[in-house]
Amino acid sequence: MDFAIKVENLGIRFNRNRKRKFSIREMILQTKNTTPKGSFWALKNVSFEVKPGEAVGLVGANGQGKSTLLRIIAGVLIPDVGTVQVNGGVAPMIELTGGLKSDLTARDNIWLVAGLHGLSKKEVAQKFDEIVDFSGIGDFLDTPVRHFSSGMRVRLGFSIVTSLNEPILLVDEALAVGDAEFKIKCYNRMEDLLNKGKTLFLVSHKEEDLNRFCTRGLYLKNGELLVDGTLTQALNSHLKDQGALDG
Amino acid sequence: MKHLQALRLLVVRDLQIRYAGTWLGYLWSLLDPLFMALIYWMVFTVILGARGVGEQPYLLFLLAGILPWVWLASSLGESSRSLITENRLVRSIAIPRMLWVIKSVSSKAVEFVLALPILIALTVIFKQTLNWEIIWFFVAFVLQYLLLVGIGLILAPLTVLARDMKNIIRLLTRLGFYLTPIIYSVADIPEAGQNLSYLNPMTGIVTLYRAGFWPQGEQIIVPLIAAIVWSLGLFVIGIFFFKKLEATVLKEV
Repeated sequence: MDFAIKVENLGIRFNRNRKRKFSIREMILQTKNTTPKGSFWALKNVSFEVKPGEAVGLVGANGQGKSTLLRIIAGVLIPDVGTVQVNGGVAPMIELTGGLKSDLTARDNIWLVAGLHGLSKKEVAQKFDEIVDFSGIGDFLDTPVRHFSSGMRVRLGFSIVTSLNEPILLVDEALAVGDAEFKIKCYNRMEDLLNKGKTLFLVSHKEEDLNRFCTRGLYLKNGELLVDGTLTQALNSHLKDQGALDG
Repeated sequence: MKHLQALRLLVVRDLQIRYAGTWLGYLWSLLDPLFMALIYWMVFTVILGARGVGEQPYLLFLLAGILPWVWLASSLGESSRSLITENRLVRSIAIPRMLWVIKSVSSKAVEFVLALPILIALTVIFKQTLNWEIIWFFVAFVLQYLLLVGIGLILAPLTVLARDMKNIIRLLTRLGFYLTPIIYSVADIPEAGQNLSYLNPMTGIVTLYRAGFWPQGEQIIVPLIAAIVWSLGLFVIGIFFFKKLEATVLKEV
C-alpha cells in the first residue's frame, strides 16, 4: 500500500434542525440513499489520496466541512457513503483537552489518555518523563487537573497526543497552543515529527502555519473538494472566493 | 487486545473517580445497599409486621435481591448517558463506541462484587447454610452482565437522540423495583400472575441469585430459562440496534 490516507467518493449528511421529528422506525427501516427533508450534505463526492510523509493543508471558510472530514479520517464519525482507508494509526489532535478527567491527577490522566490512544503500559512508562517534561507541568504532576489553568491543560493534552508516535498526525487548528514560549516548542516538535517522516493533515485558517508546514493543499467549499493541488493553488482559490464575497 | 486495555483503563478510571474525594471511599459500596435493605426490613417486619413474605432471615433475603438491583439501576442510569457524559472522548478517540456502554456496566459490576462481603457477612451472622445451588449465583452474574450490556446498547443511542429518555429510564427503574421479586419472592405472587412475572427480565435472574440460600430444586427450570432467553436475546438485539444507530448517533454527540 503506497498511501497514508485514501478517501473515495466520501459523503456525509447532517440534519439542519436539531429538534427534528424523531422516528425510531424510520431510522431502523430506512433504505439507503434517501435524503430526508431538512438534511444537507456536509461533504459530497470527496476523493483524494495522501502519500506517506506528505504534509497536506486543508483550507476553506467556516462550516464548509473541514473538521467533519478530519473527524471522519480520525474514525470518530462514520460517513453515509464512500470509504476512508487509513494506513497505520492516527494521532488526532482534536479536542486536545477533551480526554482529560478533571477529578484525576495529571499523572493518572497521562496513563489514561495515552492508554486509550493505544499505547501499551510499557510504552507509556517509557514516554512518561518526556511527556511531563515537555508539558512543563513540573510540580503539579500529582495535582487534580481541575486545578489547572486552561493553558496548562492544553499543554498537557498536546504533549500526550504528540508523543503517540503514530505515522499520521491529524491537526484541527491546534498546531501550536499555550503561551508564546510553549508555541515555539510546539512548532519545533511539529518540525521534528515531519522530519521523522510522519504524515501531516492540517486544518487551519492561519496561512503562516500552512505555509510553514504544508506543501500540498486541499480546498473545500460547500462540502465539495474544489482544489486538490499545491498549497498555493488551494489558498489562492480560497482567497478568490473570499474576495468575491467581500466585493 | 487493545480494546481490552482501553476497557480496563476506563473501568479503573471510573472507580478512581468514584472513590476520589470521599472519606469513606469503598465503604460506601457496602453502606448504600445495607441501609437500603435495613429500611425495607424495618418497614415490612417491624412496622407492617409481615412475616409470611419472602424467606427467612428476611434481611438476608432482601439484600440478595437489592444488590443485583442496585447494579441494574446504577448501570442503566450510567450506560444510557455514557455517550453524552463522555461525548468529548467519543468525539476525539476512535475506540469502538460499544465500549462506553460496556465500561459503564463493567465498573458497576466491580462495585457489585465489592459489595458482596456484606452478603457474606450476613450469611455468617445468621448462620445461613448454603447449598450446591449457589452455582446459580455465578450463572446469574454472567446473565445479568449480558442483560445490562444489551439494554445499555439500546438505551445509550436513544438517549443521545431523545434526551427525555433519561426521565423515562428513571421512572421505569423506580417502577421496576416493585415489579421485580426483591422485597417478595415469586412464590408470594398469586398463582395466576407467577408466569406473567417472567415477562420482567430480572425476575428469573433474582431467583437464580437466591437459589443457593433457599434451594429451588426443579423449580429453578422456569427462572433459568427465562433468564437465559432474556439475557441472550437482549444482548443480541442490543448489538444489532447499536450498530444500526451508531452513525446517526455520532453526528449528534
